Amino acid sequence: MCNLPIRVICRANAEYMSPSGKVPFIHVGNQVVSELGPIVQFVKAKGHSLSDGLDEVQKAEMKAYMELVNNMLLTAELYLQWCDDVTVEEITHPRYGSPYPWPLNRILSYQKQWEVRRKMKAIGWAGKTLEQVLEDVDQCCQALSQRLGTQPYFFNKQPTELDALVFGHLFTILTTQLITDELSEKVKNYSNLTAFCRRIEQQYFEGHDKDSCTVSVQSSKKSSLLK
Amino acid sequence: MLKSEAYAKFSGAPLTVNTINNSWRAPKGDLPLLVSEDIVISQPAKILNFLRKQRYNADYDLSAKQGADTLAYIALLEEKLLPALLHTFWIEAENYCSVTKPWFASRIAFPMSLYVPGKMSREALNRILLTKGGPPLYSLTEVEAQIYRDAKECLNLLSKRLGTSQFFFGDTPTTLDAFVFGFLAPIYKVCFPRVQLQEHLKQLPNLCRFCDDILTCYFRLTVSGHSPAGQDTADANLQKLTQLVNKESNLIEKVTFASVSLILLLCCGYLFTDILAWQLQLYSGLYFNYFFSSELCCVERREEYYIIWKAELMKPCSKKVFLIQPKDHCLAGVHSNTRRSGIFTQAHIQQRKGGKCIGQNSENFLQIKTDHQLSLLSVACCSN
Repeated sequence: MCNLPIRVICRANAEYMSPSGKVPFIHVGNQVVSELGPIVQFVKAKGHSLSDGLDEVQKAEMKAYMELVNNMLLTAELYLQWCDDVTVEEITHPRYGSPYPWPLNRILSYQKQWEVRRKMKAIGWAGKTLEQVLEDVDQCCQALSQRLGTQPYFFNKQPTELDALVFGHLFTILTTQLITDELSEKVKNYSNLTAFCRRIEQQYFEGHDKDSCTVSVQSSKKSSLLK
Repeated sequence: MLKSEAYAKFSGAPLTVNTINNSWRAPKGDLPLLVSEDIVISQPAKILNFLRKQRYNADYDLSAKQGADTLAYIALLEEKLLPALLHTFWIEAENYCSVTKPWFASRIAFPMSLYVPGKMSREALNRILLTKGGPPLYSLTEVEAQIYRDAKECLNLLSKRLGTSQFFFGDTPTTLDAFVFGFLAPIYKVCFPRVQLQEHLKQLPNLCRFCDDILTCYFRLTVSGHSPAGQDTADANLQKLTQLVNKESNLIEKVTFASVSLILLLCCGYLFTDILAWQLQLYSGLYFNYFFSSELCCVERREEYYIIWKAELMKPCSKKVFLIQPKDHCLAGVHSNTRRSGIFTQAHIQQRKGGKCIGQNSENFLQIKTDHQLSLLSVACCSN
């Protein structure tokens, strides 16, 4: 959205390459920056920022919405991938362990699963059932939908970091094949959100395939799903 | 707890607050708990939902967008402010020992009072470390610095959002006000020894005014009424009990510390006796024994070296330098001429001439620990 050229590369060990252990991260020259927050700040320090036109109250709102998305959607995605037994067996374990030979694939995916479940327990999501998680996602989508209303982007006419974040999550939810489609159904209930995703995809992702690269973006399973 | 109460007051629901002494009576040990006829609900968010369904709704006048904003701000609070709050109450040592633990201990029956505060403290630490403590923040102090930075930023954002209005959405309080109040009031009112968050909050006058307004209008209190600011335990028996509880927990801590240090001491003792035995065994029977024993004592005392176990003494080619090559890591080097035990670096060895044979008559790889680094030397010995 900032018109910076990027290249997306999939690597199996992306999580280990990242300085903070989390994907996505970007590799620019000899600097590696991970996670959305620091990446945004890094890009801002280089002179590109999407949220310059917002006033203080709007910036506060934007941060609040970003936290909401992180809190709800990200945690719900993690829950669905790692705590729902059916999905774990059929989809997550094979996908996470696919670059490695047996038995490494099983060991690594169990380790990751244990880590995620521990985190869920610490924040209190371990006791939730799938229906409750879906309800939370629904509430979150409703909030986003109401905030978006009929505008093209969340804050007037210009896209901001919030738009990028929401697009990332919603697009993944809509395009990932799972056992059941309940999660993507919840999102599809809100037509302005699906229109929003489509608009951004058309505008920013379909014209940029042939750009030269000075920045390469490493990301893991999410981008492999996008393809 | 405060959120639920505040929301109930805002929406006019009739609510009586019962302080529970035995927290194991709550079905899953969770407080706060709402009991309405036969239904029991335990988390603040669910309590609020329940009240809304019973038509005690403080959000009636909000537009859809404002409702969405509420959710977003609540998520922000939970993500940024809650860890710092948990830290101030449960993990910061001075605060925990002088305020939180005695207060909780005084409200909970003995012996649960020994267990429950510790458990809540551990859960808080766990939560913070798991959600915030991943790399690149490796130590607890870095995590703490980060969460306090986040919390201050969050308070600043709230202050900007509140601006000059009385409540967050106009003139009547709503769910968001209840949540914000629930988070801010403990920071604002409880007197802790370590209060960086409180000081920051006091620099934001509109948030302070917000808290005071709600307290005076809805809770009809002055400073430390029935909100949990618990130093005023006026009862003498209760004070004695808290002191007793503190002493006991201190005693337990001291005993564990003593036993752990004893175990460590025993281990070190074993280690040293082992080394001593090795030395005696190794250097007995050698004609430069006297030399070694005195030199090696120096080596130990300087503590610049590790003494590894089960080393084999290399047969020296000359009497000038002896090196001890261990099976795993090499450690001590001794120079005979100067009767000085020193650390050899590669440069040092190469400078010596004539008769300076180190180790065997072949190339050897040795690891030698210098003052600051472990260097791997390949030592070529000259024939003598």
